[in-house]
Amino acid sequence: MYDRMQELTTAQMTQIHQASMAILKTSGIVINEEQALSIFKQHGYKVEGKTVFPTEEQIRKALSTVPSQFTIKARNPAKDVTIGEDSFAFLPGYGAPFVMTSEGEQREATMTDYDAFCKLIHTSKYLDMNGWMMVEPSDIPAETAHMDMMLSNMLLCDKPFMGSPASRQGALDGIEMAGILFGGKDKIIDQPVSISLINSLSPLQFSDEMLASLIELASHGQACIVASLIMAGASGPVTLAGVLAMQNAEILTGIALSQLVREGVPVVYGSTSSAMDMKTGALTIGAPELSKNINYTAQMARFYNVPSRSGGGLTDSLYPDAQAGAESALALYTAARNGVNVILHACGILGSYIAMSFQKFIIDEEVCGMVRQMLKPIDITEESIDTEMICEVGPGGQYLTHPKTFKLCRTEFYLPNLMARSNYDSWSAGGKKKIHDLADDKVSQRLAKYEKPDIDPAIEVELTEYVNKRKNG
Amino acid sequence: MSDLQAITETLITGDGDKLKELVQAAVDAGVPANEILQKGLIVGMDIVGEKMESGDMFIPEVLMSAKAMSISVEILKPLLAEGESSSAGKVVIGTVKGDLHDIGKNLVVMMMESAGFEVIDLGVDVDPAKFVEAIKENKPNVVGLSALLTTTMPMMKKSIQGIEESGLRDSLKIIVGGAPVNKAFADEIGADGYAPDAGSASKMAKAMNG
Repeated sequence: MYDRMQELTTAQMTQIHQASMAILKTSGIVINEEQALSIFKQHGYKVEGKTVFPTEEQIRKALSTVPSQFTIKARNPAKDVTIGEDSFAFLPGYGAPFVMTSEGEQREATMTDYDAFCKLIHTSKYLDMNGWMMVEPSDIPAETAHMDMMLSNMLLCDKPFMGSPASRQGALDGIEMAGILFGGKDKIIDQPVSISLINSLSPLQFSDEMLASLIELASHGQACIVASLIMAGASGPVTLAGVLAMQNAEILTGIALSQLVREGVPVVYGSTSSAMDMKTGALTIGAPELSKNINYTAQMARFYNVPSRSGGGLTDSLYPDAQAGAESALALYTAARNGVNVILHACGILGSYIAMSFQKFIIDEEVCGMVRQMLKPIDITEESIDTEMICEVGPGGQYLTHPKTFKLCRTEFYLPNLMARSNYDSWSAGGKKKIHDLADDKVSQRLAKYEKPDIDPAIEVELTEYVNKRKNG
Repeated sequence: MSDLQAITETLITGDGDKLKELVQAAVDAGVPANEILQKGLIVGMDIVGEKMESGDMFIPEVLMSAKAMSISVEILKPLLAEGESSSAGKVVIGTVKGDLHDIGKNLVVMMMESAGFEVIDLGVDVDPAKFVEAIKENKPNVVGLSALLTTTMPMMKKSIQGIEESGLRDSLKIIVGGAPVNKAFADEIGADGYAPDAGSASKMAKAMNG
């Protein structure tokens, strides 16, 4: 197929791979956590101090046991999500400390916001999974917030969710709660019910809490994304080729650790590397460089036959405006079209990750729907072409009243929930609303119509008791 | 004086080798070291600072100028009379405990050094006790606390508390910064100021120093 976005040749990807191997051999990766270091040592990896130097053979061995596709189980089996190969999922924004209000105020996020996002995700036509820490609630104690969020994930939405990677204890609490939800930890060890985001610390390091979480999650069979976010020109090389080689070295090391912890545990190759803005030194995520990296990340993951994570509706704009729309759509579309499997941050995030917007969430959702539709193939068959009908209707005829049009009018095309299609007079009479206004209306409508999904009351009680006990000691 | 103007202009281009030559030449020609510093180099860095704010100069270019300046300042240091220090004041700065991110902090260090501050950079993952120790040892005018992770922001408060408990709070000003930090948070934890970027951090430190 003709594609103007760069398709890396096997030779080019091999060159990047070999550069990564050279980086691992010469510089190695700093592992800031004791247990991770001993796991590497036990398996014969060269370790000097806190630095591990994986060899190509060790990396290849690890990669050979990574599943190219896996399923994340939901508490509602109809909502299981498959990741890998041609299967991809849209996930919500992640990690924002603030909310951008419709009035343009950036305020601290609350637990009520978190719950509202869970409800919107539950009722979303286009988000396949719930996330983690869509916003960081500032109004609850930080040490136990992960359990409040996990409880909301489990009670307010029946889609599969992301897990808690903030600390070893956080990961363990998530696993305990998942065990309660699914009828025992033994039920979830060979069938993941969560996927968690493990970030490297560029350049060429992993922090202790990320490593500890990876170990706990992987040892309990839960999927992990090993992701690198390099700021080109700041925490990594200024050239994207250099970024690719460096992030590859980091990601492969994290993947190797996951397989040493538990061979065959699902793991995803992730990157959202982008440019540093040269004028300010800040990360820019609306940049074309980000979409280029999405394209390359997807290809490098396929090179290794592992699922990928990248992209999302990413923008530097602080408000759901035209900049937000343009930048987000470009990144989201690139990720979906170029084969990324886990598209985190698909909905709601803006301001270079600093805030979530409820309005943007609704707008991005619509774009997710449009993208899915764009990627849906059409049938080329006698029936779908229907030359008989075309010749019957003939020159100068019309199809508006044709039975086939009647039959397919509700299913053949994408039905927008949000994107406005109007003429000037109607639009004017309606108050000349812009899309972010329309989105605002939708938020309240959706939340008003929300119904909590059914759950076995005994499980709900047990989960709530677990959280209360852990909080109150 | 055209020697000084050439120094200023070369500093702006970031050519460290050429700058060194010009500074040495000026010294050899008998230009007082303090004059070279104030009217050649610092004037140059002020212009660089303005160009950075207006977006005319990019961060890597600014840092190149800062690097060139610091090499040249080394030549002048032994020649400066007592009281004619290159120092606009002392700053102790670090990324708080639990946080390993330092790009922003490093930018702040560079900008402050270019503005003439002596900066003691404690690095990353700095616990409150280490800040206190560094303050006792260096007696800074300004302390800078940086964090990128929201989970380590509470450590900023603890670090300030540590400084208060050691009885050193009144002798200095505290500036905080980092992507999730804002003025409201700074006020809440008892900091003296919040700076959204390296340029304003440096300006704020200068203003606080009087």
